[in-house]
Amino acid sequence: MSLFRYASSIYGGSDTLIGANYGLLPWFALAGIGFAFAHAVFKAVAAPNKPR
Amino acid sequence: MSMGEEMTAGSSAGAGRIERHKSIDRVYHWLMAAAMLILLVTAFLPILGIKFAWVDIHWITGLVLTVIVLFHIIRASFWQSFWSMMIDSGDLKDPFGKPGKYSLAQKLYHLAIAVLILAAIASGLLMWRKVDTPFWQRDPYWLSTDSWGVVYAVHGLAAMALVTMVIIHVYFALRPDEWYLLRSMLRGWITRKEYQDHHDPRRWTAKDEG
Repeated sequence: MSLFRYASSIYGGSDTLIGANYGLLPWFALAGIGFAFAHAVFKAVAAPNKPR
Repeated sequence: MSMGEEMTAGSSAGAGRIERHKSIDRVYHWLMAAAMLILLVTAFLPILGIKFAWVDIHWITGLVLTVIVLFHIIRASFWQSFWSMMIDSGDLKDPFGKPGKYSLAQKLYHLAIAVLILAAIASGLLMWRKVDTPFWQRDPYWLSTDSWGVVYAVHGLAAMALVTMVIIHVYFALRPDEWYLLRSMLRGWITRKEYQDHHDPRRWTAKDEG
């Protein structure tokens, strides 16, 4: 999946960049949730007694 | 200890409190949080299919965010301990040891947020030219199509990355072992015990709350 969105040129030239691909939004959200989950598991299993 | 008890811990021992955040900095933090949430909601709900008149709310909130970030940069540069947020040799020698006021992870987070917000603000200010405001009529031809594409791509990628960063920030704020930091952002102080447990006094010479 591309990071960017492109539009076809009406003049037949190369595609034009028009912005970020917002279809990636769920993946960015999942990255945050995944990091939080992984950190919580790590703290609970691997380092339960360390203060921080 | 519950979150409610954590928020009032040390209340009976006023002399044992260490000031961590001044009230002006806490107001800045929560204003920025509100602005960020409004900006993300007004940006992404329409993309997710929830349609409403979001443009005016978005650019006005973006302008508010720009002003308060400028305020923060000036205040951090001249009135706060600017270097307390910079990565130093102590962080690199012992990344998991007791930090000064901020840990290496907090400094890296701040750096990432700073880059993303400055990218979003810079691109957002350019995109402002494509919106009718009380100050000017929109001009979609102000930049070339290719340049607008780059501006929109930077703004969109920064905004989506900020979603990731906000989720991580909220997660850490809600972790019970970080509640003392949440309290310090609400009430301004940590207890002397928390200061001794979590910080190296040689790297952060804290003041008792006055």
